[in-house]
Amino acid sequence: MQKIYKLVLPLFFCLAPLTVSAQSFRVQCPTSTVTHPVAANNNSEPQYTGPTAFTTAAGGYLTPSSNVNGAIKCQQISGGDGYSTMGDGTQTYMFSFGPLSGLADIANGQPGTESPQTFNTVYPDIFQPGDPATTGLAGFTYNGAVGLVPDLDCIAANNAATAAGTAPPCPGLPASGLDGHVDPRQMMDVGVMNGNIPAPLMAIDEDDEFFLTLSNVGMIMRPDLFEQHTVHFHGYPNASSFYDGVPDASVAINIGASFTYYYLAPEAGTYFWHCHITPPEHLQMGMVGQLYVRPRQNRVPVGNGLYAALHTQQTDPRTACNSATDILCSSPVPAATNSINRAATGNYAYNDGDASTYYDVEYPLQIHGFDPNFHFVGMTFNPEGFADMKDKYFLLNGRSYPDTVTAGPMQTVSADGRSHVSQPLSAIINIKPGQRALLRISDLDVSEYQTLASLGVPMTVIGLNARLLRDQAGNNLAYNTNSITLGGGESLDVILDTCLVRSIAGDPSSTCSTAMATGTYYLYTPNLDHLSNDAENFGGLMTEVRVN
Amino acid sequence: MRATKMNKTISIARWLLAPMMALLLAVAAHAATPGITGGTGGTATFNLTAQAAYISQPDGQAVYSWGYGCDPVNQPAGFAPAAIAGPFCNTMQVPGPTLIVTEGQSVSVTLTNGLPPSAGNTSILFPGFTLTSTSNGVAGLLTQEAAPGGGTVTYTFTASTPGTHAYYSGTQGDLQVEMGLYGAIVVLPASVPGNCTANTTTPVGGLPFAGANGVAEAHWRESDFRLAPAAYDHPDTCYDREYLFQFSEMDPGIHRKADEQVTAAGACTAGAVGCSLNVPTEPYHPSYFMINGRSMPDDMDPNYAFQYPHQPYNGDPHMHPGEQVLIRVIGQGRWQHPFHEHGNHVRILGRDGNLILSPTNVTYGTVAAPGLAGPLMFTTTTTPGLAFDGIFYWTGKGLNWDAYGHNPGSSDPNAKLACVPDPNGYNTIAPTAINYYEWCQDHNKPLEVAPFGDVASGGPATLPDPNLFTNGPWFSGSPYLGPNATTRATAGTCSSGYPGTAGSSCSTTGTTPPSGTIANNPSSEAGFAFMWHSHNEREITTNNIFPGGMLMMMLVDSREFVIDETN
Repeated sequence: MQKIYKLVLPLFFCLAPLTVSAQSFRVQCPTSTVTHPVAANNNSEPQYTGPTAFTTAAGGYLTPSSNVNGAIKCQQISGGDGYSTMGDGTQTYMFSFGPLSGLADIANGQPGTESPQTFNTVYPDIFQPGDPATTGLAGFTYNGAVGLVPDLDCIAANNAATAAGTAPPCPGLPASGLDGHVDPRQMMDVGVMNGNIPAPLMAIDEDDEFFLTLSNVGMIMRPDLFEQHTVHFHGYPNASSFYDGVPDASVAINIGASFTYYYLAPEAGTYFWHCHITPPEHLQMGMVGQLYVRPRQNRVPVGNGLYAALHTQQTDPRTACNSATDILCSSPVPAATNSINRAATGNYAYNDGDASTYYDVEYPLQIHGFDPNFHFVGMTFNPEGFADMKDKYFLLNGRSYPDTVTAGPMQTVSADGRSHVSQPLSAIINIKPGQRALLRISDLDVSEYQTLASLGVPMTVIGLNARLLRDQAGNNLAYNTNSITLGGGESLDVILDTCLVRSIAGDPSSTCSTAMATGTYYLYTPNLDHLSNDAENFGGLMTEVRVN
Repeated sequence: MRATKMNKTISIARWLLAPMMALLLAVAAHAATPGITGGTGGTATFNLTAQAAYISQPDGQAVYSWGYGCDPVNQPAGFAPAAIAGPFCNTMQVPGPTLIVTEGQSVSVTLTNGLPPSAGNTSILFPGFTLTSTSNGVAGLLTQEAAPGGGTVTYTFTASTPGTHAYYSGTQGDLQVEMGLYGAIVVLPASVPGNCTANTTTPVGGLPFAGANGVAEAHWRESDFRLAPAAYDHPDTCYDREYLFQFSEMDPGIHRKADEQVTAAGACTAGAVGCSLNVPTEPYHPSYFMINGRSMPDDMDPNYAFQYPHQPYNGDPHMHPGEQVLIRVIGQGRWQHPFHEHGNHVRILGRDGNLILSPTNVTYGTVAAPGLAGPLMFTTTTTPGLAFDGIFYWTGKGLNWDAYGHNPGSSDPNAKLACVPDPNGYNTIAPTAINYYEWCQDHNKPLEVAPFGDVASGGPATLPDPNLFTNGPWFSGSPYLGPNATTRATAGTCSSGYPGTAGSSCSTTGTTPPSGTIANNPSSEAGFAFMWHSHNEREITTNNIFPGGMLMMMLVDSREFVIDETN
């Protein structure tokens, strides 16, 4: 019932009495990099017209010379604790991540992933504990990095050096003074007890560089624990061990400090993320979130052929997919040619080259389960049993029915007496008649498999484990079903198509000529014992699909 | 409250000791797919026993179990792979001996029932194969059975399809499989596709390879631990390394009850009144979750380690960048386990020895064959009674920084290696280079903003003060792959040779953060460690203790580190 890590940490303290710099929290969001050299171009996604061309730089490495693709994305999260509200009204303690960037976006059910120009902005007012709920969501629009302030020490030192005619001690300090320096008071005021379930949503595009800063604010309800937290990018291909978030294999950030994860976005798909410290404990306690990577194909200019665009991707070995030489090739060119163009609206789940993964609206849906006994024990300093863990709350986006069909963010009054945004993501699926909805479904249950069935709207599974369902020869392996089953650590992509007949057969992005009837349909679990909220024999893993 | 604190202290102390010891033992102990062979030619013959013994768990428990083993008189014809040292096959082991046969062979398995008389009959099922004959034995429900007291039964079938298969007891399975009566059959393809044997430069005694991996292995004096160059009769199933993982769980209450009843019945006469067991197998509360019969960290100890006389097989995968690694996985217990492979996806080749194929051909080099149609998965569900084969690799493609930490401005010759991209973008021109299979688009590309030892600067990311983080026992000491890169990351350089190898000349200034690394030595291995584990996370525990259970660390090792699966 105990964990070795809890003892290993103090050993380090004993062995190495250390000089820790005063500035332990910090954020990173460069406005330009080797890969994205022009700062002005890095705040939005350029169109994809072809692979990046390279030239060799002085350092012996390749730098882009034209066709720079993708942009820079940044996000900050807290690792700590918080409370959420279960479907029967129970206030439940969590170990949890919370947003420390994109606060307004997260509260609106959007990703907290921001461009540098948004991330690198200073909050104009003074944060109140519990923000953004304390200030009020209606007037709260700030999406920058919480804590970010000009580095006054560096500004003063540079000014003094300039006056004295010596080299500035902080070279490269931008005129704004924003070099990632943060005010710890803001970090703690906002970060403490701001846990979310699911953890903050992340969304990036292929070719993006992603800087994710995890700031460990500590678990204030568990002062006996000095736990680290990490981020595991679950399912990332060719992952870096260093940035994989497994504390055993890498490093884990201590309380009161920040660690920035760095990745070039991998192939498009529905991934997810979670803490990897003592996974049976930290995952059960709520440190699980959603993450998806949008495909290059979205950025093909409207009206250009998708098939040709996918062929263009084949000319760069990084973006190519050659089944004959790469057994993990994920998006082979479709077996048959076609003349379908990039649609004027909507997006694609994968680089399909034939619009087979086209959708009008997308919804991340994360399946999870809470064992209230474990959460109680987790709050009350008692040893935890793992073998008999038994989930009693079954969650879609951190909510049980009927909370799943409550619009907007849910708040929970926490132990600090403040109301915090605890469950920002509604699970309502809104689809206009004739539209296609992409459900990005992930399961992070830590104890059992879960099934989700559709009543009324047929499901088409187009992707599995963040990979397009296609054989090596390019044949489409998508399948129609009425239910999907996932174990913890799996994801899949489902299209709900409310169109019965399309104007162009074989082009899912063409206009719908006959739509299905409007109305409210249901997604629910046929694991009938999961349609409950602890003692209440009604609720659980269920939500509505509203076609209207 | 006070009692709780006491408990905590005791169990922490115990837990500090146990994994540390185990990790020390784990050094240089790798996996492969060891098993027994039944002779060459048209018939493979195996003589198995079913017996009781106690198996060891990392919480110190010895759990009463039943398992298949080898007849002490009629020992197996051989052990494979040949490069593994010190193999043995005791009369009882969990999982049972892995039977290695070749497609088309007639397989004859004779089972002798050495279980306690009160356990009754026992048997073996071979799902996926059709028995051609059964001799001796007594009638049972699902198959012919071996009677207690040394009764025997002989099953004969043809190894009709290559791939990985399970075998397990067909007698009172809810108890006997739970007690440990299960094992694996590996069927090697009769005709290996020509492209999988195109490169005949191999280590001494090794098999041909599809690519130049044999050249690399021979150069670094590694042995070849494969059973065959391909998993199936298909040109896209060539592989460079292989591992077998069998997933199962145990409810210790069932085992304790069986032990008590067997002891109480003693040397009774089989079939006599009272000479039977009545062990309830429901409700089921497993608390041990095992890979190859061992829980973490024991699973990372060597194959055939002396301390596990009844659990000879380990789970300790290692690989070099770019190697095609065949993983053979079987669900042997009652439950499904979502097996998450960190690091990359797995291409599922087939289920239960059935390749999953496209109706359309793909041309692999010059060979056309039906394309593979199995899914790519990062979490591969293990299901009771189901085996799958998959191929995994890791190259670091697309990280956008040089995973080897090259620095053209260094004085260290290993920091200035070339990367010449092949048509797929990898450095494959020189199989003997330590950066064989480096992803060339990221060659020399810096990660760090500021200089990081002797690794180039100018990159996008800044590492915090190393005193702000806690190092894991498998942390290599730097973000980079291989002892040379880690040495340079700490501002050391080598004027010749590679760190940790004989005759090298390296200096290290030693600014590595205080490292808890004991299982992935920064100065000799410095591999990239990835956790492979059940994502039903409560199953990475051993009898309620974390870490444990269905968990192992997979190491991607730089080329100069010799992956030694000898034991």
